[in-house]
Amino acid sequence: MESLTDASLKALSLLVSGDAELWAIISISFGVSLQAILYTTPFALLTAYALAHFEFPGRRTLVSLFHTLLAVPAVVVGLTLYLILSRSGPFGDLKLLFTQTAMVLGQMALSFPILVAMGHSALQSADQRVWETAHTLGATPVRAMFTVMHEVRYGLFAAVIAAFGRIIAEVGCSMMVGGNILNYTRNITTAIALETSKGQFAQGIALGIVLLVLALVLNYSLSTLRHRLAMQA
Amino acid sequence: MKPPLFLFHHVTKRFGDRVLLNIDEFAVCAGVCTLISGDNGAGKTTLLKIVSGLVKPDSAKVHVNDAEMSWAKARAKIQRKVVYLHQDPYMLDTSVERNVAYGLRLHKEPRTSIYERVAEALRWARLDHLAHRNARSLSGGEKQRVALTRARIVNPSVLALDEPTTNMDHQSRISTYQLIDELRNEGMAILVASHDQTGFTPIVDHHSQLVGGKLIAVETAFRRGRGTKITRFPG
Repeated sequence: MESLTDASLKALSLLVSGDAELWAIISISFGVSLQAILYTTPFALLTAYALAHFEFPGRRTLVSLFHTLLAVPAVVVGLTLYLILSRSGPFGDLKLLFTQTAMVLGQMALSFPILVAMGHSALQSADQRVWETAHTLGATPVRAMFTVMHEVRYGLFAAVIAAFGRIIAEVGCSMMVGGNILNYTRNITTAIALETSKGQFAQGIALGIVLLVLALVLNYSLSTLRHRLAMQA
Repeated sequence: MKPPLFLFHHVTKRFGDRVLLNIDEFAVCAGVCTLISGDNGAGKTTLLKIVSGLVKPDSAKVHVNDAEMSWAKARAKIQRKVVYLHQDPYMLDTSVERNVAYGLRLHKEPRTSIYERVAEALRWARLDHLAHRNARSLSGGEKQRVALTRARIVNPSVLALDEPTTNMDHQSRISTYQLIDELRNEGMAILVASHDQTGFTPIVDHHSQLVGGKLIAVETAFRRGRGTKITRFPG
């Protein structure tokens, strides 16, 4: 087993030298998570808007449900999706198990409640006068919705950043439905888990550095957005 | 006298057990400024929002274009013709120019024509020097003028103003009275809910007081000649 210093130096050299395998893993991670966020955000924000704006029976229960779903572990989402997509499952014929599509679906399921819960909080804090002003100046309900969303955009961006941070760092779901296949479904987190189990720390550390830098960037963006939110209030 | 643009009948609104509004008749006429006064919580804002199509009454009939219909059926017609202004108008988090352009952008007008009209409207309200400032950073009086300009540019038939001069200094109040008077002279129906009875006296045609949910006509102290330029307003 190599020492921590050796492994760390090797990790840096892998990153700097543009190691093909390492960068393939990183690009799969970003590709899958960006797709998941892109597909989920519109539906999640529409749901959040409906929960914040319309009164209907069961609204509070739904809001509580989404808050509860925030705590569901990634492996449970992975297990459920595995059962649905496995050959004997209801969607087995689609042959999606151990594909990037399955990983995207898993991450969509993980990000949806975060986007709805945080989006709902942001939209609920929107001033009632925004909707009334838009409406009285002639906006259709859809256009008034976009105006309200625009006014609370920093809160909505914060929701998207938080959801992205959660799904790019999750391991359980991607491992179960992706299968950790090199150059296809091996992403940053599943690669770290595999390399560590093999006692090969250099690649694991290099990928860990990427995740840490990403976490730093996302957190910095979040705190900047929070600052703007505070200025807005 | 021209027929009213809208004639509201039997407007009722309850909050729990409390009857907030129980109004037999309320007319909105072109070129007429109506002042609605009343204590805090008397229902002035709710009445204006019902008349603007923003709050649903428990019951109300509306006479419009020689036909009588329920408020719900008339709502779209009302919303096309009435613009409501909040006591503390909401400024979109963007420049004054884009705030004023909002209503025109909704109707997909060509960009050049929008900004020509916006520039003209800002000159009208003497706000052209603030065109590129963020509207949130303006004073209360300036925000009220931006809101009036933003409303005027969409050419509504009716303007419903909720306490338009509250928390304003003397000079801002006078500018606001002048702008409202000009809008009325352009033929717009103006509804004002306000405590500031003295200030509005020179431009008010009808004054009603909201007491116990009913509208009671108040003798208008003064009705000046149409088209006369107002140069002095009471404090």
